[in-house]
Amino acid sequence: MGTLEQLRDAIVEGQAADAVAEMKRGLDEDIPVQTLLDDGLMVAMHRVGQLFEEGEIYVPEMLVSSHAMTAALEVLRPSIVEQGVRSSGRVAIGTVKGDLHDIGKNLVAMMLQGSGFEIDDLGADVYPERFVQAIRDGAEVIGMSALLTTTMTNMREVVEAIGDAGLRDRVAIVVGGAPITQVYADEIGADGYARDASKAVRLVQEVLGRLKATDGRGATTH
Amino acid sequence: MSSTASAFHTTASSLTSRQRVELALAHEEADRVPLDLGGGLVTGMHVSSVYKLRQALGLDSPGTPVKVVEPYQMLGEIGPDLMDALGVDVVGVGRPTNAYGFRNDGWKPWSAFGGVPLLVPGEFPIDPEPNGEILMYPCADRSAPPCARMPKAGFYFDAIVRQDPIDDEHLDVADNLEEFGPTSDEAIDHIRAEVERVLPTGRAILGDFGGTGFGDIAFVPGPTLRHPKGIRDLEQWYMSYVTRPQYIYDVFDRQCEIGIANLARIHAAIGDAITAVFVTGTDFGAQHAPLISPKTYRTLFKPFHVRVNEWIHANTGWKTFIHSCGSIWRLLDDIVGAGFDALNPVQTSAAEMDPVRLKQTYGDRISFWGGGIDTQRALPFGTPEEIRAMVHERMRIFGRGGGFVFNTIHNVQAGVPVENLLALYGAVDEFRPYPIAGGS
Repeated sequence: MGTLEQLRDAIVEGQAADAVAEMKRGLDEDIPVQTLLDDGLMVAMHRVGQLFEEGEIYVPEMLVSSHAMTAALEVLRPSIVEQGVRSSGRVAIGTVKGDLHDIGKNLVAMMLQGSGFEIDDLGADVYPERFVQAIRDGAEVIGMSALLTTTMTNMREVVEAIGDAGLRDRVAIVVGGAPITQVYADEIGADGYARDASKAVRLVQEVLGRLKATDGRGATTH
Repeated sequence: MSSTASAFHTTASSLTSRQRVELALAHEEADRVPLDLGGGLVTGMHVSSVYKLRQALGLDSPGTPVKVVEPYQMLGEIGPDLMDALGVDVVGVGRPTNAYGFRNDGWKPWSAFGGVPLLVPGEFPIDPEPNGEILMYPCADRSAPPCARMPKAGFYFDAIVRQDPIDDEHLDVADNLEEFGPTSDEAIDHIRAEVERVLPTGRAILGDFGGTGFGDIAFVPGPTLRHPKGIRDLEQWYMSYVTRPQYIYDVFDRQCEIGIANLARIHAAIGDAITAVFVTGTDFGAQHAPLISPKTYRTLFKPFHVRVNEWIHANTGWKTFIHSCGSIWRLLDDIVGAGFDALNPVQTSAAEMDPVRLKQTYGDRISFWGGGIDTQRALPFGTPEEIRAMVHERMRIFGRGGGFVFNTIHNVQAGVPVENLLALYGAVDEFRPYPIAGGS
């Protein structure tokens, strides 16, 4: 079995030590960084997402795989920086004001990372102005999470704050969390909703594609 | 009591609340569907909503504070006058200390959530940090690191994870068992006194004595412990089901022994005075799927649920109560098979949790203690008409043939419009009498 295949298997199986070892081996074998990312980590995490959606694995298994992927990614990171490999996009993600629940948010962040996105993890209990700052710092996508009916309403404040700052055209906004629905996402003017971490990856790819297609970034004024 | 209050719960009855709940749990139709509000720590109401409801019912003059009887989720007291006004049938009896290990006494005034007047336990920290959050300390011991925080814009507390680096070579199950020990004599005296206080009221008692909730993520961080050891981080805990299953099994195994020994001592003190006992509040479901696989439930949890249920059924007259949020349809064959008598909160807003299918498939084997109204959308954001319609629908679906204790799906949260609360309990009063009115 080749290194890439073993790397993928280690991640899907959630074997962090093996994933790290295979990543090191891949680097030793001079497998290109982009290949280790695309055909190693990204394919593995895509498979993990599929298994989750099919009900073959659940949150604990997905966490274990995500942590294995993160460990392997850390091995690769110096090479990514050194070679200036471009990320799929920059996503700032956080649980909204008043809400401290972050397991779902963390899982989405790890899945995105495994799909080549650069993550600015803003943490939990994140106020609107912090999301706005993240856009100024370069985020192309804002991801918001909430578990509670009492805090989900704070998502609207963030959308409004981004609009008030004149940054709305420059960023895609996606939302998720237990009480969130597509209807609610539409209501507050978000660009999308995903019900789980696997679907969140596809959503971010999609909204970012749309944003870039409309050349939104160029339309923004400062 | 005002005339508004007596507008609810007007039907006279020869049954006591206790008899009503017992009939329901025996899958029989009583005179009306029993109602729980505040009998358990997951069947109550946020204190700010209790305040609004009491004001609207005319039970209090404006500015009268409401007691916070559960500081973790900031649940308000459902006092006898409110119970009478709404026709509530269930009272909770538990240990003398709260989720943070201090007593609910020495009440002092506080104001929060936009100026709601409250009474909080004397040990409750009311001085915010510079960033506006309130920090909670285990057993109110400020020399220990804080164990929970309520954000400035929050409505209740969440755990602060205190996790030492995990050394897999030296993991000791005792480290994850520090909070599970013999129930003290003082606690047993308290439980006995509370039971004796409630018994003459004729209300049904839901006992919550702690200790048999295996892997309840609310308590995994060890909120009563000054320096928790073992696995306390939430992600690490969930991952341990996959990476350290034997360790988890061994923790649950020992916890189960301790828990059953405590139940035996409590039963010796109070006998069959309680109607049901809260066995576990561990959440097995997320919004769109179970949190864990059916296999994980079967191998790590079910053996201990079976053991606790079998002991209770063999040695007491108590019914057993399980709470699990979320989408748990795929686990229900096993959960019902583990021998529970009542399921809560029956989160019908989660995936695969269709009320009709639940009642048809499991209604003859388990009672539904919840599922009465969706608290994620209908109650906080719907109209009074939608709420009335949903209450009627749930009474028809879950109520027929017994096996139903009406309860909101989990605690009523903050921010629910008071007209929706009035619509809810008005509709409960309207539709709870047997035979349930309306089409199938």
